[in-house]
Amino acid sequence: MRADRITAALLLAFAVAFSAGALKYYPYWGEGGPASAFLPFWLGVVMAALALLMLLRRPRDVGDWVPRGEGRKRVLVVIAVTVGFVALLKVVGMVAGTALYIAVLMRFLERHPWWKTVAVAAAAAFVNWLVFAHWLHVPFPEGLFWTF
Amino acid sequence: MDFLANLAMGFGVALTPFNIMMAIAGVMVGMLIGALPGVGPPSGVAMLLPLTFGMDPTSGIIMLAALYAGTMYGGTITSVLINTPGESASVVTCLDGYQMALQGRAGPALGIAAFGSFIAGTIGVVLLMLVSPLLAKWALSFGPPETFALMLLGLTTVTLLAGDDPLKGYISMVMGLMLAMVGYDIISGDARYGFGIPEMMDGVDFLPVAIGLFGLGEVLYDAEQVGKPPVAKGRYGLRDVMPSGADWVRSRWAIARGTVVGFVVGMLPGAGPTVASFLSYTVEKKISKHPEQFGKGAIEGVAGPESANNAAATAAMVPMLTLGIPGSATTAIMLGGLMMWGLRPGPLLFEKNPQFVWGLIASQYIANVMLLILSTAFIPLFVRALRVPYSILMPLIVVFCVTGAYSLKNSVWDVGQMLAFGVVGYLMKKLGYSPAALVLALVLGPLAERALRQSLIISDAGIGIFFTRPISGVLMVLALTAIAVPVFKGLRAALRRGRS
Repeated sequence: MRADRITAALLLAFAVAFSAGALKYYPYWGEGGPASAFLPFWLGVVMAALALLMLLRRPRDVGDWVPRGEGRKRVLVVIAVTVGFVALLKVVGMVAGTALYIAVLMRFLERHPWWKTVAVAAAAAFVNWLVFAHWLHVPFPEGLFWTF
Repeated sequence: MDFLANLAMGFGVALTPFNIMMAIAGVMVGMLIGALPGVGPPSGVAMLLPLTFGMDPTSGIIMLAALYAGTMYGGTITSVLINTPGESASVVTCLDGYQMALQGRAGPALGIAAFGSFIAGTIGVVLLMLVSPLLAKWALSFGPPETFALMLLGLTTVTLLAGDDPLKGYISMVMGLMLAMVGYDIISGDARYGFGIPEMMDGVDFLPVAIGLFGLGEVLYDAEQVGKPPVAKGRYGLRDVMPSGADWVRSRWAIARGTVVGFVVGMLPGAGPTVASFLSYTVEKKISKHPEQFGKGAIEGVAGPESANNAAATAAMVPMLTLGIPGSATTAIMLGGLMMWGLRPGPLLFEKNPQFVWGLIASQYIANVMLLILSTAFIPLFVRALRVPYSILMPLIVVFCVTGAYSLKNSVWDVGQMLAFGVVGYLMKKLGYSPAALVLALVLGPLAERALRQSLIISDAGIGIFFTRPISGVLMVLALTAIAVPVFKGLRAALRRGRS
């Protein structure tokens, strides 16, 4: 309900900026036809109209969309650990990063025993390396501490 | 018979050992992906697409198409055994499939679904083979206005069918088109919305977006849930999954009707397997002499929809290959893959890359046979896979998403993009928006813009060109109807409220 209104307001602001930006920075009409600002401008207009419609219509119940309690904690932990994983990808490297990521989630969020955690993390990091880096020749980020 | 020669050539391509291996791998991985709750066909195809980059495009598409067929069946396993659809096209299978499982008839439910899928899939390929070349020939006469009208129709129907709130569907679709505007303009070369960041100037790639929205987004959505439903007990040996004679008698026409409904619906842009399965269920219930048994374990309620979704998955290839218009999120991602491999989907594909097209068609026959063998003989294996706790699967899926997004261009930026869209996808799902409409619009955006601007250049800026040419006129009217229906419904509801 309130979520829809807030989203609609944000979308409206975004749409106006999108259209205005198109007109300000790119040509609307070129030789004999529409130029690069043409479609972005009109898409912004359409989005603004849709957002206005959502602002004005009778609010619908989207249900309880904010997770609470244990659910909220779990989602936030997964997002945070994943952000950390991606942010440190170039520092830690792909192989060690993968193993660490799996280990952290399995041990501290899901409370699996250590032996299982280590086994799954090591196996997954190895298979991932085997398929992508070894067979498909994807140059994995190596990291500062390890060179594999 | 021209097409027999083409088909023979296709089998020549598909029957090379490597391509057979790819078809088997595709079906197996597809069944596994379909069976895992939370990873559906679009995320499966998006996550596996990077794996195919090093391959020949034909082998790549063979694997992806086999995977798509596999997911359609894999989703059934979870629907029947744990009442949790692995993907949306199997939602309706839960109704009677799980009831059958509770009555100890999980085996025949899975068996009839496997046979139905095989029959429908195989007939679907025959129809695909007959219809596509004709459609491609017809589509050769399409100019930019027809192309644009067709894309508009595809976008609006997907949006219309995406969920129960059309307004949010349209917002998702327009957002996808806006994202498609980022990067170098295809005609003038202007770097739009680049903000001076080189990666932004290259545009928003659909693959990190798709992996994020469907893969990571689903993981986050599922991460909230604690615990999981129990697996229905039963015996799943080869003999246990064979449907009895009575089962066959009850199901045969359901399978036939499901095949027809599935193929027709699957060919329409935007409809796809999910709609096909629901429609087939409705048809079966309407026609049945004992509609009261539906929802209580009627085998027709499994046989019909399961046949329909496989026929539809095959039929969805028709508009993708011949017109370059994907009918669903999954085929949109495949279409993106084709473009990455440097192929141009559309009517010319049949003339310029016959090996590719006919190899794909022939491989679909092989994939269907593989699917039948795997899905009857290896059900115990998949039942065991269902017992792997989600708490272990979850980090593995994320690792796969990260590596897949990275390997596209070996860029950490893409991984960041994937991550951002993962959170966006999670929120979209929570708030009732449609990730499928967004991805479809993102893939079609640049093509639609080119067609629109070329049309307006031809017509000297008059929009009449879209309506005066017969084919584009009809398509535009259909597209506008798709837009008008929810508006009309909304207005009527508002009027009614005003009166009362």
